[in-house]
Amino acid sequence: MIWLLALLVALPFACAAISLLVGHSSDAATKGISVGGSALALALACVVAFPRLGDAVPIGRVFASTSASGPALELSLYVDQLSAVMLLLAHTVAFLVQVYSLGYLADDPRYPSYAALVSVFTGSMALVVVADDLWVLLVGWELMGACSYFLIAHHWELEEARAGAVKAFLMTRTADLGLLFAIIVLGVRFDSYRISTIMSAISGGGFARDELWLPALLLSAAVIGKSAQFPLHTWLPDAMPGPTPISALIHAATMVAAGVFLVARAYPLFLSAPGALNVLAIVAAGTMFLGALYALFTHDLKRVLAWSTVSQLAYMFGALAVGAYAAGVLHLLAHGAFKALLFLAAGSVVHAVGSTSMSAMGGLRDKLPDTFLTMTLGLGALAGVVPLVGFFSKDAVIGATLDAATGGRLVWPWVAWLLFSTMVLTAVLTLAYSLRAWLLVFFGNPSPSVAAGLVHESPWSMRVPLYLLTVPTALGGLAVAYPEMILGPGTEDHLLHPWLAVTMSALVGLTAAVVLWLWRRHAGDPWRALVIPHPPVDQVYDVGLVRPVRRLALLVRAGDRDVVDAYADGAGASARGLGWVLRRAQNGNVQGYLMVVVLGAAALAVAAGLMA
Amino acid sequence: MPLWWPLLVASLLFAIGVYAVLVRRNAVLVLMGVELMLNAVNINLVAFDAHFRDALHGGQTFALFIIVIAAAEIGLALAIVLMVFRTHGHIDVDRLRSLADRDEVEEPIEVSPVMSR
Repeated sequence: MIWLLALLVALPFACAAISLLVGHSSDAATKGISVGGSALALALACVVAFPRLGDAVPIGRVFASTSASGPALELSLYVDQLSAVMLLLAHTVAFLVQVYSLGYLADDPRYPSYAALVSVFTGSMALVVVADDLWVLLVGWELMGACSYFLIAHHWELEEARAGAVKAFLMTRTADLGLLFAIIVLGVRFDSYRISTIMSAISGGGFARDELWLPALLLSAAVIGKSAQFPLHTWLPDAMPGPTPISALIHAATMVAAGVFLVARAYPLFLSAPGALNVLAIVAAGTMFLGALYALFTHDLKRVLAWSTVSQLAYMFGALAVGAYAAGVLHLLAHGAFKALLFLAAGSVVHAVGSTSMSAMGGLRDKLPDTFLTMTLGLGALAGVVPLVGFFSKDAVIGATLDAATGGRLVWPWVAWLLFSTMVLTAVLTLAYSLRAWLLVFFGNPSPSVAAGLVHESPWSMRVPLYLLTVPTALGGLAVAYPEMILGPGTEDHLLHPWLAVTMSALVGLTAAVVLWLWRRHAGDPWRALVIPHPPVDQVYDVGLVRPVRRLALLVRAGDRDVVDAYADGAGASARGLGWVLRRAQNGNVQGYLMVVVLGAAALAVAAGLMA
Repeated sequence: MPLWWPLLVASLLFAIGVYAVLVRRNAVLVLMGVELMLNAVNINLVAFDAHFRDALHGGQTFALFIIVIAAAEIGLALAIVLMVFRTHGHIDVDRLRSLADRDEVEEPIEVSPVMSR
């Protein structure tokens, strides 16, 4: 079993290497390797993960370990319930993305490197979720950052794609420093880098409240960057020029999910340091509201989804911050399912229309029936419509926050109340922007190109993943009803809050009525295009970081040119000057040379005569 | 006959040859200077041969060798001078500076009327 797990981690990297080797010689082979490899990985993930769900005992193994002084670095893997569900999520979404990319990137000349990078991306996420050593986890974590950089910049001929990739890389890398320092602090404190050892030591007690505030805060910084929370949230919407399947992968299963996963993995640490949880809760409250607000007013379909990811991730952090572990993880899984569905469906729309702007869409209901059906389910799940998975998981999150506000002891009551009220408000806004996007894309007056009949449904390779993803989107609510079947015993058992659910549904229904009324009244966009001033975080970064770094770079360049280069240039110039003197003699006049020879011979003769 | 007479003549002849090689601008006259030096050496060889009464007359034999080699050399050298005249239009050694170390070709090779015809 454990060797299967090692194989599972290694497989995507091997696939990537092979598809890069054969990629440009055989197109069919690349496609076969990518899709077949991810299918095999998914099968392996099922074999490894399903026996670990429920009340199974976690398995782990140390494959290799260093014996130098200090805590040992270990190549060790560990699978518990959390790792198992994350493995399933990552590999399912990755497999569907690979299948989907067959259609979406059918004519792309850079398909081989794309497929290879998707494989590496998936393998890195798998490494993060099964790593038992903090340094191994860091390797996977950084590999994901690098892969996201390459994949966002897939269309590197576009200026905005390059800028978005650099921004994503720099912002997440900066935040990753938090993880690095947290690893060092934890290693010094516990004399081990093994996550399971550290966490069981913390769970064992003996630590004062907030004694471990430093590593918890450092980890919070890392996950805030990776999961695009305020104030490091701006990279995620700017990463939208990447191919849409990549957005699905980043938003649903890998990159941003890794942040939530890390909090869940290090949960005993956070529980022992509620100060960090307070910070996380406040950050989450601000982020979810901001994300929903910008999703409400943007005109770009992919940006709506990107901002909604920011907002939904904040829900997960909110749940984790108030101690609702199961609710947070289940919302992560639910979000992974429906956000993958949404992005792939949006990719189908973009593929058909050729633009991501919602003003170029409209009236697509009849033209794209499959996309319409699946995206309706996805948006319904996002908005929390009754039988879909988002309803149950969001209800669990909000209910847990209400419990924490009334009787919780983990975070301060006012923080919990702030979080609760923001969650309710954001749920309403979520419904509003989902409904608006739905209406703008599929209803209303068709845009000229749509009306001209140029739009056609996407190929089967793109539609099959959509239908497959509707299954967890529609039926995932069962998992929320029986969390112990997945996350094992000890998770809180009452995730369903009937009264709250009824209230929220009424609120959501009321909002839907208001939005529909506004839509009918304005005949088109439900509300005028308002421009909400964005919090000036990007400007702050620009003034505080980017410009000083640029100045410093200018200074360094000047130093290099005027100081370091001056020595090299000086050496060259002096050699050349010396050469100039010697070159005077080489004037090409043979008689001059002979004169020197004769004079030299005479001088030698005289010297010989004098010495004799 | 004292030995220093032919040696004096030979040194005068050699000095004239050196002077011609170093100073004359006409390549043919430079060659004549070379011949003068060679023959000064020949006189030395013959003079010492006679002075030491060498049984095998190595000095005279060597002088004959040098005369032959000088003939070959002057033939070769005059051919070179002829080629120089054809390509450059003159045989002024002061102006034959193609071997000078310079950054780039400053003056294109002058094409003589003979070649351009």
